Amino acid sequence: MAAIVRRALDTPAVRPWALGLWFGLLSLPLMITSDPGYQDPYGYHGAHRALYVFATVVVVAYLWQVDQAIWPRLSPAGRKRVGIAALVLTVLTVLALRDVFGQALHGTLAGVGGEGLVYLLAGVFLVYALRGLTPDTTADGGAGPGVWQRHRRWLAPVGLVVLLVAPIFMNRYTADVAVQVGIYITLALGLNIVVGLAGLLDLGYVAFYAVGAYTYGLLSQGLGIPFWYALPLGGVLAAIFGVLLGIPVLRLRGDYLAIVTLGFGEIIRIVLNNWDEVTNGPNGILGIPKPKLPFEFVIPGVPEWLDPAGELVIGGVLRTPHGLYYVILAIVLFTVFVVNRLNNSRIGRAWIALREDEVAAEAMGIDTTKTKLLAFGLGATWAGFAGTFFAAKQSFISPESFTFFESVIILSMVVLGGMGSIPGVMLGAAALVVLPEITREFALYRTLIFGLAMVAMMVLRPQGFVGSARRAVELRGGDEPPAVKDEAATDQSLYEAQRR
Amino acid sequence: MPGAEHAAFAIFLQQLVNGITIGSVYALIALGYTMVYGIIELINFAHGEIYMIGAYLGIVLLSLLTAVGLADASLMLTMILVFAGAMLVCMMYGFTLEKVAYKPLRGAPRLAPLISALGMSIFLQSFVFLAQGARPKVFPHLFSGVGFDLAGARVTYIQVFILVVSIVLMIILNYFIRRTKTGKAMRATAQDRRMAALVGINVDRVISTTFVIGSLLAAVAGVMVAMYYGFVDYFIGFQAGLKAFTAAVLGGIGNIPGAMLGGMLLGLIEAFGAGYISSEYKDVFAFSILVLVLIFRPAGLLGEQTPQKV
Amino acid sequence: MKKQVFALAAALVVAAAGFATDVTAATYKIGVAGPMTGDQGKMGQDIHNGVKLAIQEWMAENPGHKVETVVGDDQHDPKQAVAVANKFVNEGVIGVIGHYNSSCSIPASTVYLEGNIVQITPASTNPTFTDRGMWNVFRVCGRDDQQGIVAAKFVADKGIKRIAILHDKTTYGQGLADAFRDALKKNHNMEPVFYGGITQGDKDFTAALTSVKAQNPEVLYFGGIYPEAGLLAKQAKDLGINARFMSGDGTIDPEFVKIAGKAAAEGSWLTFSPDIRNIPTAKASVEAYEKQFGPVGPYSIYSYVSAKILLEAVKATGAKSARDSKKIADHIRNTTWNTAYGTLKFDKKGDVTESPYVVYETRDGNFVQITGLNQQASK
Repeated sequence: MAAIVRRALDTPAVRPWALGLWFGLLSLPLMITSDPGYQDPYGYHGAHRALYVFATVVVVAYLWQVDQAIWPRLSPAGRKRVGIAALVLTVLTVLALRDVFGQALHGTLAGVGGEGLVYLLAGVFLVYALRGLTPDTTADGGAGPGVWQRHRRWLAPVGLVVLLVAPIFMNRYTADVAVQVGIYITLALGLNIVVGLAGLLDLGYVAFYAVGAYTYGLLSQGLGIPFWYALPLGGVLAAIFGVLLGIPVLRLRGDYLAIVTLGFGEIIRIVLNNWDEVTNGPNGILGIPKPKLPFEFVIPGVPEWLDPAGELVIGGVLRTPHGLYYVILAIVLFTVFVVNRLNNSRIGRAWIALREDEVAAEAMGIDTTKTKLLAFGLGATWAGFAGTFFAAKQSFISPESFTFFESVIILSMVVLGGMGSIPGVMLGAAALVVLPEITREFALYRTLIFGLAMVAMMVLRPQGFVGSARRAVELRGGDEPPAVKDEAATDQSLYEAQRR
Repeated sequence: MPGAEHAAFAIFLQQLVNGITIGSVYALIALGYTMVYGIIELINFAHGEIYMIGAYLGIVLLSLLTAVGLADASLMLTMILVFAGAMLVCMMYGFTLEKVAYKPLRGAPRLAPLISALGMSIFLQSFVFLAQGARPKVFPHLFSGVGFDLAGARVTYIQVFILVVSIVLMIILNYFIRRTKTGKAMRATAQDRRMAALVGINVDRVISTTFVIGSLLAAVAGVMVAMYYGFVDYFIGFQAGLKAFTAAVLGGIGNIPGAMLGGMLLGLIEAFGAGYISSEYKDVFAFSILVLVLIFRPAGLLGEQTPQKV
Repeated sequence: MKKQVFALAAALVVAAAGFATDVTAATYKIGVAGPMTGDQGKMGQDIHNGVKLAIQEWMAENPGHKVETVVGDDQHDPKQAVAVANKFVNEGVIGVIGHYNSSCSIPASTVYLEGNIVQITPASTNPTFTDRGMWNVFRVCGRDDQQGIVAAKFVADKGIKRIAILHDKTTYGQGLADAFRDALKKNHNMEPVFYGGITQGDKDFTAALTSVKAQNPEVLYFGGIYPEAGLLAKQAKDLGINARFMSGDGTIDPEFVKIAGKAAAEGSWLTFSPDIRNIPTAKASVEAYEKQFGPVGPYSIYSYVSAKILLEAVKATGAKSARDSKKIADHIRNTTWNTAYGTLKFDKKGDVTESPYVVYETRDGNFVQITGLNQQASK
């Protein structure tokens, strides 16, 4: 009997319904709300929402089956074509939602209640765009030297010029978003050293960010030290904290390390929140000065679209997001340069060796203690820089900016972008800052999607969207005895992810 | 008017009661961590969320049963149904959690399941937030306040209830692991998964069972905590999960009496630390202990020092 | 592969360009900021609703003018608050009503200062907000230190000697507790018998409360918000502490009674602004609000009043855009305003001149105003 049910559940026609039913049932008890006072801004309320879960799971499961039937048979060129088409569709749907095609279309969409559906569609398109355009690195055995290496000679200067002139086309808001992207790129690249290269899961990374921020905050308040001196100091201090944390946790393995770093992050936050005499406790530090350049030019008479005040100020105190943009751009370029060099250096290779097999690495003569400490120290440095800049940008810092959730966001950037891959991590950071800004309507669902994406990414594509080839091989290969692995493969589980 | 010495003793005793109550809850959750870690050597980050879901289920089921009028007819039966329902649904969640976030990654290096578990934890937290709303939920005040005085310290019946249930569950669990066939299979799997598979143990089923039992215990802890504090919000899983993990490590991860001991110790450290040193730094004590234990005695108080498998 | 990365980045930039919408000239835009989603979402929505009502009424009175709101969700995160502020400056709003949390209002205000925009907060009570000498900030609600003074006077008048103070280690909670302690010392020469913090989000406060119990206080004052307040009141009762529970405006929420239980909440003293339902001048506004949006929240009418003041000032000064913000600010500062809360005047810093706090007592699960009733009747 059980065998018949099992076989029935496995048929393509039944499985999506069975899965839908299971997850619908699972969510049902939690969908019953006993709190009439709660106002859901989206108007979804009550037990019938379990039906939505049911329907969504059924649809996704069917789509998955269709995908599995078609996608593996596509040629790399075909996948690329699908990717490009999906990319165009993504941009079009997003533009439609941003009422670029006029209020009329947008109004119609919203009117028929199709807005959410179009967002969903945009999300599906985006996934396929990423999937099609970022080839599965395991399949073609790594991306090789790549476009970047071949065209570096002209790509680098062109890219630089684009980045330098970009702010002219930005308004205050977009410039502020760009600055945030820069902060998170710096943070994510730093965490990438620890997690992506050295393979040490650090869940308290935000602590070093806080160290950098408070370094500048306190030094500027107490001693009047300017931003430019505080920036290296913040980095150095964060590095020292990184090493200090590194020493006790050196002996710990993956999971313990994760928990201890998490605890460390929380300790730092709690201390910042309670040490009123020094950090001003929960009230934080106010009036932190913005970076100041030693020169100042005023160009009068510029058109209003460029600057509302009618004059363009270059230098002086960098008050506007545009001015700050150049500071963070310099920090990001420096970070990318150094991280890139580290990646290909002796240390970088030592980290990777460590990540792949600690015992073998030690046998090959790598000093594991030193290598791990370096990873912690060098990883923390970037958080220190980012923190110092963050304090200057916000001109106000308080412990609530340095919660565990911040660590999680930075980690998701690294994981979703592709652990170990510099362009991947940068893209991950940019996407996780920009996407929530575009889809503010979905702010509530942001963490839900983060969590789901992290699970899906690990299960389906552990190397991330733009994985590094080396990393992919490691994440795919196992250190598990084959006997169990085979058994797992034959097991007819309820939710079996096809590992292509 | 009792003397100053007596008053100080009453305060001490009160902190002891406070510590043991919160310690039993930590211990119950810690059991889930310890069992899973013992078998697949992975921290189930989402375990705290199962506990949180258990607490929410307690409130949902109780309000449902109150609405149909059962709570007025028989409070005893209602509470049995609430516990049973929460346990059942949490077991389903634990089962699904393993299938979705762990099983596909069984051959992968450690980082992958850790991140997927963390993702699952975030997902479950925001799922409950979206499904149940942001406002904290209130468990009807059915049992609060009633209790007795013990040498100047106040003990409520629900505190006694929590302690008794925790101890009984731990004794049953210990018996289950030591004496039953499934329990033996679990221990075999914990020792050597490949060998266990070779002697005919269905390793997948054993791992599933472990998750299901851990979730069951978390559900009980969740409902009891909802009853005790009369209050649930969607953050409780993260905080309690972290503390319970600390407790499991303190006692020696993979060791069932160790989890019990670790939970109690942690509860007492928190109560006395907050009472006699500083309540602002309460969480710092807990985390510092975690760090210290891991550095000086990574196997925990009751754990055996084993050489690392290569 | 790298090429595709750039293509993607380009696509993201194109998509990002989508949110640069044009500024249309003939209409005024008002920024409304607060936590619109998440656990404090209700507070943000209350503020938004209050502004909506004010705009509707104002547009009905002043045909020919068009006012729009631009809503910014700061998710009670200081970083998001700055992003929202930059967005407002960018969209050319003529003034901002918000934010809700002090920790958001304060960093955002520097962006508004720089963008030359007037900010009126209906709800941020931290003194620092107006204490920094900025010309563009106003607050229509009270300040934490005023609240502390009122609470201290109240307990001193009752002849209460033994007071224990707890706070939740947040900007708001600790600020309130400190204001209360300082007022006790300065105005009444009293020292609390216990002063300490707990952790916001924690559930078990029995350890701290046991230390409180050892001091045998008559009043337990808590600086913080309702979830912790409810748990504290309940656990204090369970521990057999016979002190009267007292707290501030963050606790005045029906949930407090639900969490604490009617028995433990009974008799608690809470300081808050006068009950809007007892104020004759507010009757019409409250009715209009409740007809559209349901029950008024604690800050709904404050934000309604803020928006009214801003709009009237814009009209009176003939301001066209945020460039005239100095004029708007001067007008707000130099005018006596007739509002739903009675007459309001702003001082130099931007605070209202009269301390609006009164004391409520929890009776049978309801909050009943017990001081300041006579003054209102005479108004």
